Amino acid sequence: NLHLLTPEFALAGFALVVFLLDLFVPNDRKHLLGWLSALGLVGLAVLSVLMLSGEKESLYNGLLAVDDYSLFFKVFFLAIGVFIILSSIDYVKLHLNHPGEFYGLLLFSILGMNLMAMSRELLTAYISLELLSFSLYVMVAYALGNPKSNEGSLKYIIIGALSSAILLYGISMVYSTLGVTKFEAIAQSLIDLSSVSPALWAGLALVIAGLGFKLAAVPFHMWAPDAYEGAPLPVTAYLAIASKAAAFALVLRLLAEAFVPVTERWDQWQIIIVVLAALSMVVGNLVALAQSNLKRLMAYSSVGHVGYILAGIAVLAPDSLMGANGVIFYLVGYSVTSMVVFAALIAFFNATGQEEIPDLAGLADRQPFLAMAIAIGLFSLSGLPIFVGFTIKFYLFTAVANEGYLWLAGLAILTSLISLYYYLQVIRQMYIQPALVAPAQSDHDEVEAEEGASGEGEDDEHTHTPAHHESSADYIPLPRPSAALIFVVALGLIATIALGVYPAPLLELVEAASAAIIPGG
Amino acid sequence: MSLQSYLVISIILFCLGIFCVLTRRNAISILMGIELILNSCNLNFAAFSRFVTPPDDISGQVIALFGIVLAAAEAAVFLAIILAIYREFRTISPDETDTLKG
Repeated sequence: NLHLLTPEFALAGFALVVFLLDLFVPNDRKHLLGWLSALGLVGLAVLSVLMLSGEKESLYNGLLAVDDYSLFFKVFFLAIGVFIILSSIDYVKLHLNHPGEFYGLLLFSILGMNLMAMSRELLTAYISLELLSFSLYVMVAYALGNPKSNEGSLKYIIIGALSSAILLYGISMVYSTLGVTKFEAIAQSLIDLSSVSPALWAGLALVIAGLGFKLAAVPFHMWAPDAYEGAPLPVTAYLAIASKAAAFALVLRLLAEAFVPVTERWDQWQIIIVVLAALSMVVGNLVALAQSNLKRLMAYSSVGHVGYILAGIAVLAPDSLMGANGVIFYLVGYSVTSMVVFAALIAFFNATGQEEIPDLAGLADRQPFLAMAIAIGLFSLSGLPIFVGFTIKFYLFTAVANEGYLWLAGLAILTSLISLYYYLQVIRQMYIQPALVAPAQSDHDEVEAEEGASGEGEDDEHTHTPAHHESSADYIPLPRPSAALIFVVALGLIATIALGVYPAPLLELVEAASAAIIPGG
Repeated sequence: MSLQSYLVISIILFCLGIFCVLTRRNAISILMGIELILNSCNLNFAAFSRFVTPPDDISGQVIALFGIVLAAAEAAVFLAIILAIYREFRTISPDETDTLKG
């Protein structure tokens, strides 16, 4: 029954084929490799969806599991891969060397993520995590001529390699005291354990530290702002969306299968994750208030979101699916929204080469579609209704409050409010600030431009004086983004609103996924 | 040798590795520290497989083999990134590549 692993074998072979074709494709046709990879990923996603109705079992005597949980995440990762490739084709063509290998590395990292969702054993989890991490280390360094990219990548790989090593040491300590590495066997031996030895404490602490680095939870988050700022924008998007989702898929399965069934210990150990969650929420959102670079802002805001998801993980229970549902639903909603924001930012960068918040001034006039996309995405991330961001936060915080952690839910709501401030700062730049006028303007027109551009739809009382028309027409116009980017942004916007208003079909899939890992649900 | 001797050696290696990563000014020395930590983990796994688990359960030794492979792959990627840093900054000290702030 190795045929259940067909998507993984196909993905590995496909990545090798892309690397091979990269040698033969001429330089001006390399973007075809991107389209080819996207096509392959779509095919594999369809195959994985078909497998949802097939047989589900553990492979290799309990190392890998093909069940609803891993198939859900497989389809999710493949879909994210498709959208990242679609958003990045123009960026890679314009700004990066060696485009063919970029797509090959992306495919290998998706393979690592698939295996992370499937792994039911500590070593398999570690190997697949490393596969993802190695591809990411190289992808962050991809903008070779850019000193920020090199520096961000150096910081990322030093801290990432250190955290992998610490994680491995923790795994060895856990192996020493329990003698097993499969998740179910760990749960069984923890139930039989009379007392927790110091070696096991040390091992568990090191495992949490190692995984905390990968998730960018506070206090292990110091690499995230520099790596996000240094990386090329599509890789930043990939880091923020996919690698976080994969790490959470792994942590969720690890905790749900290995620690949550041990009820009396899990009740004592929950507090560690609660503390990490609270710290991440507070620090991530507060430090984001001071940022002026868009990528750094998204990095700190993603640390805040990690805090919310960790709060959901802390309330996992052996008899209720609400915590796991909340976490998985939050991951999907957060990824959809972030995809919208990042795709719009990539389109902006392709056109202007700028990534600071003041550069977004007047985007509502220059390119209203992108401004609307970024505005809707940021409103959704802060949790405003009719967007998916509200639905995911409502569901997750309800699950947290249901388990008794009312203060944590309250803290989460408070920090969501704080996050609205820095998201609104970006939206204010786009809609309220005047666009930069073109250099060859008279002083008269510059004075007119101080009045400010009109907002979208809500400020109907702004009268359009003829002079105002003249000045608002003097901004530097933005070329239309490419068809692939418009497609990704439009699809993301539709999903953001549709999932926010009618999440029931997705919630059914999410519930099937969490029922696969929580035994008592 | 008893289990304790192996564990003491591996803990010493682990601490030396962390010391290297935290205090060195040369990226390659940091890589050596990380390799030290990974080797201490391999030693741990092999020792536990010999002394703690039943004699026919060699999973610890298999994990150690995988660990060696992963450490080698990590070193390859790390050195490639150090090369890229050197081309850009003409130095391989992380202290001096400090343009990103905040």
